[in-house]
Amino acid sequence: MKKKNLTITRRDFIRGTMGVAIGTSILGLSWPMNETNAASPSLVTVVRDKNALDTSKNVNIQILKKMFEQALINHTGQKNSKESWLSLVNPDDVIGLVPTDWLYPTHDEVVDVVKSSLMHAGFSQDKIRLAQGSPNSAKECDSLIAIPSLKSHWLTGIGTVLKLYIMYSGNPSNYHQSNSARLGEIWNLPFVKGKTKLVLVDSLYPLCNKGPQADPRYQWAYKGLITGTDPVAVETVCLNIINKKREAIKGRIWPLSPPPICVEAADKVYGLGTSRINEIKIENFGWEHDLLL
Amino acid sequence: MKKILILSIIMLVFISEGVTASMKINKLNLPETIGVWSRPESSKKIDSTNIFKYMNGAGELYLGYRFDHLEVFDYTSKNSGNILVELYFMETSDDAFGLLSLDWGGEPVIFDNTPADSLNDSIVSWSMALYGAGLMRIWSDNLYIRIMTLNESPDSKQAVIALGKAITVNQTTPLEPKLINSLVPQIDEVWKLRKNRLSFFRSYLALNSIYYLSHENILDFDLTTQAVIAPYERVLNSGKKTRCQFLLVKYENQERAQKALNNFHSLYLPEHKKTISNSSEDNLNLFKIEDGWIGYKLINNYITIVFECPDRGSAMVLIQNNETSLRRNFGK
Repeated sequence: MKKKNLTITRRDFIRGTMGVAIGTSILGLSWPMNETNAASPSLVTVVRDKNALDTSKNVNIQILKKMFEQALINHTGQKNSKESWLSLVNPDDVIGLVPTDWLYPTHDEVVDVVKSSLMHAGFSQDKIRLAQGSPNSAKECDSLIAIPSLKSHWLTGIGTVLKLYIMYSGNPSNYHQSNSARLGEIWNLPFVKGKTKLVLVDSLYPLCNKGPQADPRYQWAYKGLITGTDPVAVETVCLNIINKKREAIKGRIWPLSPPPICVEAADKVYGLGTSRINEIKIENFGWEHDLLL
Repeated sequence: MKKILILSIIMLVFISEGVTASMKINKLNLPETIGVWSRPESSKKIDSTNIFKYMNGAGELYLGYRFDHLEVFDYTSKNSGNILVELYFMETSDDAFGLLSLDWGGEPVIFDNTPADSLNDSIVSWSMALYGAGLMRIWSDNLYIRIMTLNESPDSKQAVIALGKAITVNQTTPLEPKLINSLVPQIDEVWKLRKNRLSFFRSYLALNSIYYLSHENILDFDLTTQAVIAPYERVLNSGKKTRCQFLLVKYENQERAQKALNNFHSLYLPEHKKTISNSSEDNLNLFKIEDGWIGYKLINNYITIVFECPDRGSAMVLIQNNETSLRRNFGK
């Protein structure tokens, strides 16, 4: 059902009427306008290790591998990573790894760890490819593993999970301005919908203000990996971490501006998952210093 | 013959003014090496056609000001990381100032060539260079400069600052945008302007990054507009602080200003009846909404809007005082 295109304003955000104002898709898609009620909480796993990065921010690959394995096994509830992957991905699938590839990119080591874990589980190297950059990259894949870097964004508040697929729209600058709240609709494109089997957020060294341009004043060594299959739940946990870090920096609540309306829209308008923290189950392992959860 | 000579002199003056305008950035002095870092011979050049390729959505920030082009130098070293130098050439000094004004955080850096009086001009003492955690941001005439290392150390900090000094040594000392001189620093000994939160901009995206208003361009900003937003703060006897946001926008002409304000009212305050005319008596509109009192007024080709006021009287006082200042400064 198409709704009249209304203007989203600050007042909608304050009143919680943003969903009504989102209006029609710019891609001509239809989507469920009903709020999704989670049958059970969406699980998000956070694994950290204080030695994941050294003082020069070099990644310890062995520790990273262990962190990922723990996150994957915990998330899927399987006995080992092979069975974990098989519970997520079909063995014949062409698997696309989708990192943030430019300007605050995902660490290469994180992408490599995912790839080697897949290969170790028996998936053919020929069928594992990098799938960031264009709609064709996604069209050629049966499954996608989203591997964004954790960062805030000056246009959307947060620029981590939901923004990751912006290149699949075919015209990313369409989503820079008034349509930035509609990022979630890209996930419902026919050649994207349903393909994302795992979201793994590289939160080794996040950015919590503006972005995507780096600003060392607002970057810190969180040394974590955040995993889930509900992209909105994962984004919500990331948002929590960013907000808590901002609060720690300023010594008071320091709201993101603009507010990350795309996250609530991804839940309430596009039905991609839950943005309600009481519907998200967070399990954390490892280093607990400044957990920000 | 005399007429031809005079005409030739006049033409020469115009030509030289044009050359000066296009070469407003005096020759930059970017050292080939600084400490253990060295740069390539030539820069990477970015303009509006490839800025998104270089920096994705961050490009909208610079396009929202009058961006001309960007030159990038990546200083490398064997073991001490890189120092990235980005020189944003803007059309005017106002635009370079605007970019710095989006974030006044950091430690002010005084270069030896900074004249003392530029630190005490108008309503604030403007820091033209700010440093924090390895990033230095500089406003130098119509250049906005970012110099950044992600591996901060005493040596890299020294190098970053030395680069900033070297780049700006031949540049003219800029003046802040005239528009901000209209803002009243203190009203009724109660409301104080938070100078270190003042921002100059031309784009609604920049406004949203400071104070979110709408995902649409409801105030019709474009590169011909000039705007400044700043909070006013009041401290009560109890020690409690109240803050409201004051926005002043200048348009090319009154017709555009009126149209923008009409649009703003229709989209932001649709449930309230408006009065927008150029008669000063009935032109002040005040409404109570979810987050406090909002007020606005059309003053020829300017509009003033105040958000989140605690009461009607405060909204009125803030707008009226700034209107008086505006009329005095710009003869309106």
